[in-house]
Amino acid sequence: MNRPRGTSRPAVLRLTVPCDLAEVRPRSQEVGAFLAAQGCDENELMSCSLALVEAVNNAIRYAPPEAQGQPVIIEALTTDQTIEFRVTDHTAGFDWPQEFNLPPQDSESGRGLYLIHTLSHEANYLRGRGQNVLHFLRRRSSAPLDVPSNTPEEVRLQLAENDRVITQMVEELSSCYESLASIFRHSRTSPEPGRLQTFAQSLLEELTQIVGADWFLLRLASEDHAQLDVFAASDVSLHLAPLPLMSSQHICAELEAALTRQEVWFDTRTPGSTIDPIARARPATQGVVHPFYAGEILLGTLTVGRSVSQSSVLDPQTATVFTAGQASVIRTLTDFLAIQVVNARQHEEHIHAHALARELEIANEIQRSLVPKNLPHVPGLDLAAHSENARLVGGDFYDAIRTGDSSVLLVVADVMGKGVPAAMFAAILRTSLRAAPEVLQHPAELLRRANNLLFDELSTVDMFITAHLALVDPRTRSLTLATAGHCPLLVSTDRAPGFAALASEGLPLGIKRDTTFPEQTLELGESYRLLLYTDGLSEALDENGARYGQENLECWFAATVGNCRTADEVRSALIQEMQRHCGQRSLNDDLTFLTVTNNPET
Amino acid sequence: MKLEAHGDILRVTGLKELDVTNSTEVCASIRAALNPAQKNIEIDLAQMNYLDSSGLGTLIALHKTACSREGVVRLLHPVPAVQEVLKLTRLGRIFEISKA
Repeated sequence: MNRPRGTSRPAVLRLTVPCDLAEVRPRSQEVGAFLAAQGCDENELMSCSLALVEAVNNAIRYAPPEAQGQPVIIEALTTDQTIEFRVTDHTAGFDWPQEFNLPPQDSESGRGLYLIHTLSHEANYLRGRGQNVLHFLRRRSSAPLDVPSNTPEEVRLQLAENDRVITQMVEELSSCYESLASIFRHSRTSPEPGRLQTFAQSLLEELTQIVGADWFLLRLASEDHAQLDVFAASDVSLHLAPLPLMSSQHICAELEAALTRQEVWFDTRTPGSTIDPIARARPATQGVVHPFYAGEILLGTLTVGRSVSQSSVLDPQTATVFTAGQASVIRTLTDFLAIQVVNARQHEEHIHAHALARELEIANEIQRSLVPKNLPHVPGLDLAAHSENARLVGGDFYDAIRTGDSSVLLVVADVMGKGVPAAMFAAILRTSLRAAPEVLQHPAELLRRANNLLFDELSTVDMFITAHLALVDPRTRSLTLATAGHCPLLVSTDRAPGFAALASEGLPLGIKRDTTFPEQTLELGESYRLLLYTDGLSEALDENGARYGQENLECWFAATVGNCRTADEVRSALIQEMQRHCGQRSLNDDLTFLTVTNNPET
Repeated sequence: MKLEAHGDILRVTGLKELDVTNSTEVCASIRAALNPAQKNIEIDLAQMNYLDSSGLGTLIALHKTACSREGVVRLLHPVPAVQEVLKLTRLGRIFEISKA
């Protein structure tokens, strides 16, 4: 009777092969006869037999001496659509290749796996402790031929055998489906921000149920990678002390897995394992430690165990606490958890970046508040200022403070550092200068006081401030200057040809306690131009990364300022010059400068 | 398995299978039978219905032996199953295969 395709019952064969190569041929012939009885054609028979023989040969050749008493199990399942094999071995297992390539033509070995891969449509390898399963499948090319009917007794036996094998397969498959289902369930409810711990706890509780374990212990590597900290555990007795990663102490199972990057199977009844923290918490248990990574970086370890009785046989070589299928589920769920850990950490970093952005905003606000809204009006003097921040907030600031009827104190300073601390120091400096009206006309004394005030705080955080304090008196046409390690002030006057770059030799603020600052005075004449700036000007980069340079700045100053009538014209010309230099490139540092000219209209 | 000398050829016939159980032994026997004048090895595969990856290893080992004597390995009358294995592993090119 011809069976309509797709409606027949699957047929199953289960065979055990003793660990002896000579037994492989006869068993493969039995399988061949079974396949022929299921209507497989010549080509299918040839392909399946060869792939099966290669699989079983490997299972026998690589069985360690202690596993040679255990047979290799062959399970074959045929349907109208497919021929499927599972070969259970007791070897140490191997890494299933990502790609299957033939060895060089003159190589005498290395073709077995290639043949299995090539002769089947699907193939994979489940690794477990003391047992692994090679599974491969061939899709059938044609409808099965007419199959001779069996006797009722044969049919009954065949059905019973089919049911037994299918039940076994279903058990293994269902654990795979359960793990998939668990992943889907947990994917839908990916950890909420800051709730990774709860998420991990619930996922791992589910995992212990799926694989029939009794307990789990999840450790994550600390931020400095110095130790593994318990992150989640099935009960409080497993909230063990951190495990140092770098110490030379006894290597326990978890540490071994973390350091060797391999799964480690353990039995806490093994003599000598009592110093293992797990053995102390769980004296009679078997299990596996699975390390997990993000790229090359160790994220943590997951340990899953099952209690055993103290008196049961202790054979750590062959103990199969978890089947290959269960071990595979543990691996899959751990790797899924690893992705969630990475996601959660990225989320934390995002929050951190957000906090950082907020900090910069605050710093920006402080800095904006430092810049005078309006420059003071000083008879006989024309002032203009420009301040532009680079991407990160810096500590540049300028100020102009009236110091009496006729003079003005000009300040340009640069706090070395970024963010809120730099802005805070700038604010303190600004306040300290404004709070000492009695010495405003003495720039050197002001710097000395500011240094004494700020020294302790600045040196604690390894920061310092450079500054120029220039007192300009248009009535006396004089400039009094004190410098704290700042770049030179440029001045041109009608009293001398060219220009001068002035800087008195003072140390930056915060470098040395109780230091003094020299002061120098210059006569300005009737017509003069001053430029006070921070080094963001001379350090500005062009599109090719070349600095503008002090020399260029001085050349520009010498060539240009004589043609500018007002401070504002000098400022506009300099901004234009900087735009020309930087081109499309954005600012690499803050740009702050003050321009001063005599005011011919007063 | 029968080994016969024909001038510079050693002819191997009657080999029914070449697999993990006998490949080492077969290789050793053929090498031992080669006399200094024989550089070519002809293996009649007409009766061989079974060849696995270990058997392929033996054929390659014999190919190397023949090459060192500036000779070749000729495979005669391979059955379809054996032809298929040689094709899958792309070894058809390194042997002289005579189907007739």
